[in-house]
Amino acid sequence: MSWSHPYLLYLLPLALLPWVSRNTEKQIVWESLLPHDTVSTVMGYTLRVMASIVIAALIMAVAEPHIPEHTVQRSGQGAEVIILLDRSRSMDQPFARRHTYRLSTKMNFKESKRSVARYYLTEFVSSRPDDRFGYVFFSEQASGILPLTYSKETTLATIEAGGLGRGLTKTDISVALKKAGEMFDGEVYRGARIVLLISDGGQILSAEQEQRISQILQDNNLSLYWIYLRSVSGMTLDEMPGESVLWQGAPERHLHTFFKSLSVPYQAFEAGSLDEFAAAMKNIDQQHYQTLLVERKMPRESLADYFLWVAMVGLLLLTASQIYTWFGVSRAYRSTRH
Amino acid sequence: MRLSYPKRIFLTALVMLISLLMIMAALWLPPVDREIEVMDSLFVIDITDSMNVEDVSFGSETITRLDWAKEYTRQSILSMPCGSHAGLAIFSEARSLILMTPVEVCANYHDLMQMLSQFHPTMAWARSSEVSKALYTAIRQAKEITPQPTVVFLTDGHEAPPVHETLFPKFTDTPGEVPGVIVGIGGSDLVPIPKTNEFGEIEGYWEINEVMHKDVYASSRGDAAELNNNRPRTEHLSSQKKSHMETVSRRVGFEFISSPTSPQKLIKEMQKISDTRQQPVKYDLFVWLASIALILLLLVFLPYSLFTKQHE
Repeated sequence: MSWSHPYLLYLLPLALLPWVSRNTEKQIVWESLLPHDTVSTVMGYTLRVMASIVIAALIMAVAEPHIPEHTVQRSGQGAEVIILLDRSRSMDQPFARRHTYRLSTKMNFKESKRSVARYYLTEFVSSRPDDRFGYVFFSEQASGILPLTYSKETTLATIEAGGLGRGLTKTDISVALKKAGEMFDGEVYRGARIVLLISDGGQILSAEQEQRISQILQDNNLSLYWIYLRSVSGMTLDEMPGESVLWQGAPERHLHTFFKSLSVPYQAFEAGSLDEFAAAMKNIDQQHYQTLLVERKMPRESLADYFLWVAMVGLLLLTASQIYTWFGVSRAYRSTRH
Repeated sequence: MRLSYPKRIFLTALVMLISLLMIMAALWLPPVDREIEVMDSLFVIDITDSMNVEDVSFGSETITRLDWAKEYTRQSILSMPCGSHAGLAIFSEARSLILMTPVEVCANYHDLMQMLSQFHPTMAWARSSEVSKALYTAIRQAKEITPQPTVVFLTDGHEAPPVHETLFPKFTDTPGEVPGVIVGIGGSDLVPIPKTNEFGEIEGYWEINEVMHKDVYASSRGDAAELNNNRPRTEHLSSQKKSHMETVSRRVGFEFISSPTSPQKLIKEMQKISDTRQQPVKYDLFVWLASIALILLLLVFLPYSLFTKQHE
């Protein structure tokens, strides 16, 4: 329990006032004239004690006692997800355009890959109450701008920011993956850990990079999901018989092959249309309801009401006795005047 | 003045009764709605190399411009009333990149600070620092956010490559449509700029022959070229470019404050120029009611007799 205004507690000695005050006493000539009555004496002390309690309780209530905001751990259903959203320039291109041999020159489409990714990510995050999200921003360097957090507001704000403005010219997936793994360094293992990569392209990694990424994913016990936003409809990550020769050896295929060789769980979702993207997100959503230790923020709880209750009950009795006294006194005075 | 005994008893009973009603009100009166003024802000922080210069003082220490910008942003966010929103963005090359759209400052303080602490020159995606263009993109992106935030642009104003006064990048939007403040950072003396390598480590300084000293576009224009050629070759050094930032801020309808000493200065400036929103907050009156009850009770029990007896 803590106090919002602890200095007010210095006023507590005021609770002794009822013991020095003689405001409600009648002056009499000689004290020995009073008949000795144990019940009255006890009553008098009781009323004073009660008055002290009421004053003390009020002072404490005004000092605002409360249990500060705190976190409790409980088990929930969900996962810890690091979002790697590709912010490269190519993500500004339209999602799932038809396969032509000409590149589009138009920019700022309504349905750019980035805005589609943002839309579904927002849905995904909002639909998972217990998950903890992190976000890695990467260009040529990666930084974990949003360390794992329970706050939906900041997660969504970061995802939304990812959809603003134009993309960056150079992005490096390898540093991003490495950073995503590092985000779990020093974290207690709470449950399923996911790296969610959303990109429209691949990258040919050096043997050293591959080794490092594979090591860090394995060390931190991560699962990898890749939502591959197909720029050209028809192309798949796995080679298909009779496909266009242009697609062979594409960087995304290299990356896919590397991911498949990893010892950690890996799944690729190839989204060629909005429906497929939605289905991929749904699939991940369903797979990851494992038990997870979650921290719940308990809001600050005010305890002032308890003190007010004490004060109220005490004062109710005091007031009642005082009113009763007043009735008695006024009747006595009236009768003497008659 | 002395009150008769029955009167004293009556008054005591009456005051106690009022006090009792106050406590009951404190217990059961529902919280009232109170309006507070909140604002939405977007902090854009310059993370270019010139921000690594250590020439600003913070307390008794001399720290880098970037550290100062981060600390100032932190203090400003802390000074905003709960219910206000703040977003974070970085600027490098010729554009601002928003990393978090405005979120409520009190509930998300921790996350805001976590993100702010990550701001580092290694996040830069290119090695130039075109302040005015970056400012324009910040304004354009701020317009896409609802409710539209007030832009706070923290920079030393160092343009690299330099721009010639007559060949300023055009600002195509309406000045003042998006309100904002430019916060100028840095000392007034020209000092060398640390150079960072790809890992963000400082590796020597930018040399005189490694940077452009004139606006390349101006060189091809007859009139400007001459002026351009006579410019001092000092672009590898950096100081707070106050006059440049003043010009830029006038162009976009922003306010300019140079090296403010307290966050209050920024907050006041922002309150003046931005459209503050009224946000109702629940306000519990119990403290006031309980205080009245307490004061009334103390009045009942104050030992008046100690003072009055002496006069008798």
